[in-house]
Amino acid sequence: MKILVPTKRVPDPDQPIHLNADKTAADLSGIPCIINPFDAIALEEALRIREEERSQAGSDIEIVAVCIGPQACEKEIRIALAMGADRAVHVVSDEYIDSWVASSLLKAVVDKEQPDLIIMGKQAIDADNNQAGQFLAHHLNWPQATFASEISFEGDRVKVARETDTGIENVSMTLPAVITTDLRLNEPRYASLPAMMKAKRKPVDISTPEDLGVAVEPRVEIISMETLSAKRNCVRVNNVDELIAKLKEAGAL
Amino acid sequence: MEELSRELYGNIGVVSKILFYICAFTSMGIFAYGIFKRRKLWRIGKATGEKIDWVASAKALRTRVLSQKTVRSGVRKKKAGLFHTLMFFGFIILFIGTVLVAVEEYGHILFGIEGENLFHKGIYFAIYEVFLDTFGLLYTVGAAWFLVRMIQKGREDSVGYRKSDFFLVTALFVIGWSGYWLEGLRIIRENTAYPWLSYVGNAHAHLFQFLGVNEGNISAVHLSIWWFHGLLVFSFIASFPYTRLLHVIAGTYNLVLVRRKPGDMIPVTVEELEETGKVGVENVQDFSQRQLLSLDACVSCGRCTDACPATEAGKPLSPRDVVQDIRKHFNEVAPLVIDARKNDRDELEDEALAAAPNLHGDVISAETLWSCTTCNACHEVCPLDVSPVSIITDMRRFLIGEGALSGPPAAALQKVQRSGNPWGLPARDRFNWAEGLDVPTVQSNPGFEILYWIGCSATYDRRIQKVAHSVVKLLELAGVNYATLGPEERCTGEFARRMGDEFLFQESAENNIQVLKKYNVKSIITHCPHCLNSLNKDYPQFGGDYEVMHHSQYLSSLIKDDKLKVDSKAVIKEDGSITYHDPCYLARVNGIDSEPRHLIEAAAGDKALEEVARSGCESSCCGAGGGRMWFDDEPEERIGRTRVEELLETKAKTVAVSCPFCLTMMTDGIAAKTDKVQIKDISEILAEAIEETKKISSHTDNNKYKKI
Repeated sequence: MKILVPTKRVPDPDQPIHLNADKTAADLSGIPCIINPFDAIALEEALRIREEERSQAGSDIEIVAVCIGPQACEKEIRIALAMGADRAVHVVSDEYIDSWVASSLLKAVVDKEQPDLIIMGKQAIDADNNQAGQFLAHHLNWPQATFASEISFEGDRVKVARETDTGIENVSMTLPAVITTDLRLNEPRYASLPAMMKAKRKPVDISTPEDLGVAVEPRVEIISMETLSAKRNCVRVNNVDELIAKLKEAGAL
Repeated sequence: MEELSRELYGNIGVVSKILFYICAFTSMGIFAYGIFKRRKLWRIGKATGEKIDWVASAKALRTRVLSQKTVRSGVRKKKAGLFHTLMFFGFIILFIGTVLVAVEEYGHILFGIEGENLFHKGIYFAIYEVFLDTFGLLYTVGAAWFLVRMIQKGREDSVGYRKSDFFLVTALFVIGWSGYWLEGLRIIRENTAYPWLSYVGNAHAHLFQFLGVNEGNISAVHLSIWWFHGLLVFSFIASFPYTRLLHVIAGTYNLVLVRRKPGDMIPVTVEELEETGKVGVENVQDFSQRQLLSLDACVSCGRCTDACPATEAGKPLSPRDVVQDIRKHFNEVAPLVIDARKNDRDELEDEALAAAPNLHGDVISAETLWSCTTCNACHEVCPLDVSPVSIITDMRRFLIGEGALSGPPAAALQKVQRSGNPWGLPARDRFNWAEGLDVPTVQSNPGFEILYWIGCSATYDRRIQKVAHSVVKLLELAGVNYATLGPEERCTGEFARRMGDEFLFQESAENNIQVLKKYNVKSIITHCPHCLNSLNKDYPQFGGDYEVMHHSQYLSSLIKDDKLKVDSKAVIKEDGSITYHDPCYLARVNGIDSEPRHLIEAAAGDKALEEVARSGCESSCCGAGGGRMWFDDEPEERIGRTRVEELLETKAKTVAVSCPFCLTMMTDGIAAKTDKVQIKDISEILAEAIEETKKISSHTDNNKYKKI
């Protein structure tokens, strides 16, 4: 079995974000980046599936991490490999990529790699679009289960518990399939420096959108961005009555 | 006057004597073979190549072994410590006494002297008899106490019970006692002059006479008791390497030749990682030879487990069980490793080894390893210098290398990796805590004499920032020429190292050492005992040598030098209104416990301090050390919960601390119980007292002014 895990590089959410001069994108200079936390959960799930399968004889699971983005993504790819992915595919592009282009590029990679399962984050925490997984399932004409909080296998089908606003929905799909992960699926493991050093030896397959025959033509254009006012009005209150009074004053009650 | 003397080998015929020597050599042979075999097992471990410092070792032999201090220090098992000491000295003196008799015997043989004794006579012998009888008594009483304790406690209840223990403790006692039987019988047989000199033996002589021993049967009785005593001693000697008695050898080695200090950690090099492909301890043979030897030093007395804050909080960790479980596993696996190596089989693919239990998981669980706060209480109380902490941190290194950690603690490490602090907050905000305070930096004050190390807590945590504000205020008041690193400081890596992330620590350390070198930093003060410990003990391993002081030490010296003035009469606080919680890494690991008390005394008078039950080196962990700060525990599962109760029992209104982690943990813990108790850093208490002094003196000054 082969599991493909798309891992996007996103800015560290702990860092304050500033916009670039023409207010169309975040200024990422000097901002540390991480693997999109939902993708890290997806990768962790793939690793756990492999670890569980390992105890059953005869199964062999390969995990391939895919990253689309600039040269600088090397570091996050290394982290994915250190966590335990067997190898990586890096589609190098410096251009702006929307969810449609991203899913088209992923489809091209899938055509080449022929995985049995794709697990990816339900959304990336930078643009928060929540589209790439769904688009990819569409391109491939595969079944999809989004917002997974539990994944298990039953024969040649995969069972997914989906977190919806009103509760859990249990679905069962044939393979190959696309699963997108929610927050509560697992807690990703730590990639330590020794593991990252060892990961240097793992293969990374580098290509460009042209190599894959996909034109980078985004359908969504960002016109402008605005940051929320960071100004907060903090007041210390001495007791609950004062708190209620203040909240009423602010119109919150 | 009758001649006082004794006959050597009196009543012992030639045949008995020959048999005696055969037995003696056999038992010594069994002893030597056993030690040789253990040594072979210890040597499956890694050789650390550490040199033995013989001068320091000689000193340690006196201060740590001969003084018997380590077994008696501490509040725990006081009685066992006392009786062990009695037994120890009794044993040593009896041993010397036996050696002297041997010298006499071989003196005769060597110099061909017949008849009279060389020196076992006259006044010397009189002193000898009294002396040996007394120490023999101490020994026998000590052994009797242990035997009674073992019988009372019952076998199952007795710590880490092994089948040989009962034989051992009984033998210890009977050997001592039967020595007196023999002495008594000798007195009867030889009709020794001044028998009352051997007062215990003489009492036994009377006893035997009462029991019917007389001139007719004395020879037979004496000979059989002599053989009984002798055989018991020989089996005792032979059993040394195979029973708990091994602690005499392994423990002495550990105490004298190794002398690992609390807080010390051995670095791993990148070369080692590349060569072996792993960090830390995966299998038992990855421990150092010294660590394996220390497993044999453990007598399973349980002082460590009694002192462990994780055990106290009900976590799945007992330091004694860690050591004893690994020892058991070691006994099982070590011969397999030796066999695999002898036959040139790959240890990792060896079938016999693969079938044996795994050190990780089967013997020691990850939960056990992660429960430790590395507070070092276990190592501190160990009479034989066994360090369960080093075993745990070495095993953690392997877990980290394998990525077997997730959730908040993993996130804290990741955040240090990318932002230089465990909260992952922006590095460029590192100096925001000093906003509006005009704090000098290495750039604004390049001629600084001392560097104030802020640490991540005071940088980002609003509560701890106030500690840094107090320290800055005091330094300014005393006119100290200091500076801070500003945004160039980053996490020391202390908690990363104790969590087993050696390379993240090394990266952090190298970074900081470079910055400290750039600004030619020689002396550092810090209010964080963890930063202190890292700068003090970890950094010299990587070329960072500084004079590092805790703020309590530095502030205390400022008061002594009269640079900080507190009107002690003006600020006196109510008796017992303040209690002080000693941080593990300050009091226990770095031995700093009097200076914080000096500050409290200066700030609140000498009666204000109410000591908590466990203080100084005996202090109990707040629960945040060794990376535990980053684990999410339910309040009722938190380590340090009982410590909070203990501090509240002092009825003090203020709990003084001197560590940011303790401040956070104690504030949380106490807030859940009461809102009547304040938790403050000692520098805050001092700054407030000085503020009060100033107010009072300006008051009086004003009054004076008005009068004029």
